[in-house]
Amino acid sequence: MEKILVTGIAGGQGRLVARLAAGAGHDVCGVDREDMIAFDDGARVRVYVLDLLKKKYEDVFRHERPDTVIHLAFVRHFKIDPEQRHEVNLLGTKRTLEYCAAYGVRQLIVLSSAYAYGALPENPSYVDEDHPLNISRTYPEVRDLAEVDTLCSTFLWQHPEVRTAILRPVNTLGDSVHSAIGRYLRLRWVPMLFGYDPMLQFIHEEDLARALLAAHDKGLRGVFNVAGPGAVPLHVAIEQTGGTALTLPESIARPAVRRMFDFGLYQFPPGAIDFIKYPCTVSDSRFRAATGFEPKWNLHDIFAQLHDQRERAAAAA
Amino acid sequence: MVAPEPLRQLEEEIAGGLARIPTVLNEYGYDAWGFSPETSRRVLTLMGLLYRYWFRVELHGIENLPEGRALVIANHSGQIPLDAAMMMVGSILEGEPPRMLRGMAEYWLPTLPFIGTMGHRIGSVVGTPKNCIDLLHREEAVLAFPEGVRGLNKPFSRRYRLQRFGLGFMRLALETDAPIVPAVVVGAEEQIPTVGNADALGRMVGLPALPIPALLPILGPLCMLPLPVKYHVWIGEPMSFSGNPHDEDVFIEGLVDKVRSRMREMIERGLRARRSSFY
Repeated sequence: MEKILVTGIAGGQGRLVARLAAGAGHDVCGVDREDMIAFDDGARVRVYVLDLLKKKYEDVFRHERPDTVIHLAFVRHFKIDPEQRHEVNLLGTKRTLEYCAAYGVRQLIVLSSAYAYGALPENPSYVDEDHPLNISRTYPEVRDLAEVDTLCSTFLWQHPEVRTAILRPVNTLGDSVHSAIGRYLRLRWVPMLFGYDPMLQFIHEEDLARALLAAHDKGLRGVFNVAGPGAVPLHVAIEQTGGTALTLPESIARPAVRRMFDFGLYQFPPGAIDFIKYPCTVSDSRFRAATGFEPKWNLHDIFAQLHDQRERAAAAA
Repeated sequence: MVAPEPLRQLEEEIAGGLARIPTVLNEYGYDAWGFSPETSRRVLTLMGLLYRYWFRVELHGIENLPEGRALVIANHSGQIPLDAAMMMVGSILEGEPPRMLRGMAEYWLPTLPFIGTMGHRIGSVVGTPKNCIDLLHREEAVLAFPEGVRGLNKPFSRRYRLQRFGLGFMRLALETDAPIVPAVVVGAEEQIPTVGNADALGRMVGLPALPIPALLPILGPLCMLPLPVKYHVWIGEPMSFSGNPHDEDVFIEGLVDKVRSRMREMIERGLRARRSSFY
């Protein structure tokens, strides 16, 4: 049994990871800005309700002395100002790294993202972990993805005493996570660009939780892409999740999205358009070889779950 | 609408060929690189019309294409990369067993709407070293044009002169231990004769090349349509190389020159063997 601290424990992914870790017999605690009352079955874990940027965060390390930290506390939406998002994600990570080094944490697992590679026309179909993190070239609003990842990679080399694993998962879908791709696919009209239909990979949130735990169980050190069961063209994902594609020429879509985002009328910044134009698909052979990980959810079931959810939401409305 | 008999027959042949290609497809009918037999059937049937009735392609030596991984290296010509399309159609229609040639596309191809997507659906990939290595490790046949745009857009006066070859393909062949299959297309050079390139203007409008067709004054915009030339595609015997893929350029150049000389011989032989550009 180990003591595992999960940052962002009240979020969708945090709850899943905490549940899985507690189920495996670990002593789980967490920090988040919101409280997680209890799991669905009533089981509880200790949650410290606080802001990662505040001094009290250090007290948690001082008091709990976790063996392992699973760092999931990131702002991944644009409801707050991009500058604030950048500060929260970078500074929150910086603090976490500092405390891991200072309080004898043996293992750190960070949830980065495959988006950090960026969606570019010259991307190979299966980007490996040595590929540069190009996201800021076309999507500066989420450059914190690359910067967090780089911060953690540097820590990985500077602090060999902390076994650090950085996971870069693909598009994550499921009932509880709030992912950008999930919000996109749940839109009433799902925008596509005229003449573009890139391949997209998907992983289910439960499989991602299992992957994070697998990284812990195998004591991974290094950077790992985590891909799900496979890739499909964007239009297939929209069809299979019950969406209605709205196909626009890029010359209209880009300026329209820019204006609407600036005025707070649309949740996606213009840089996101590249992700429905060019592929950002990755090779997970390193992770599979290191852990023997196999996703349990296939594409069909991942899509079907979102499809049902859409229908329930439509029926409720 | 009832399709005319030759078209239906062609579509059946393409579908039959595609069905025999041992590609792993997911539950939605796509392979890991975005290849779709369903879309390919339609696109390659249209290309097949060009293959059979417009260019009347004669494919020689397809039996030289070995089983398993292979890097097919060909000359590039004719302003529009129909040479690649004809080779892809040919290896499906006439290969025994049918093979899919996975074209290594220019980096800017995915930036073009529809064309980029269509390229992926018929099995092409962006021509990055990583894609090439991944495909060869999966025992696929990869088609590459080491002259790139230099070959594609050269003017009529330089027809059938091989341009400078990139070295990357040889390093990848050495790294993956893949045989190189030299191939030449004779005929495509005459499909759109050009007098030169308006490079500066091309750059202004964001194109990698802006050829000036010789027939522009006579045909107007129609001059960009290929003439009904006759294609001869010659597939040569595989060449095996060994060596350090990270060796000095000088060493790699020596190996590349062997492929290039073989291709020059094949082009000369092909030119002597044909009676005319059109039949």
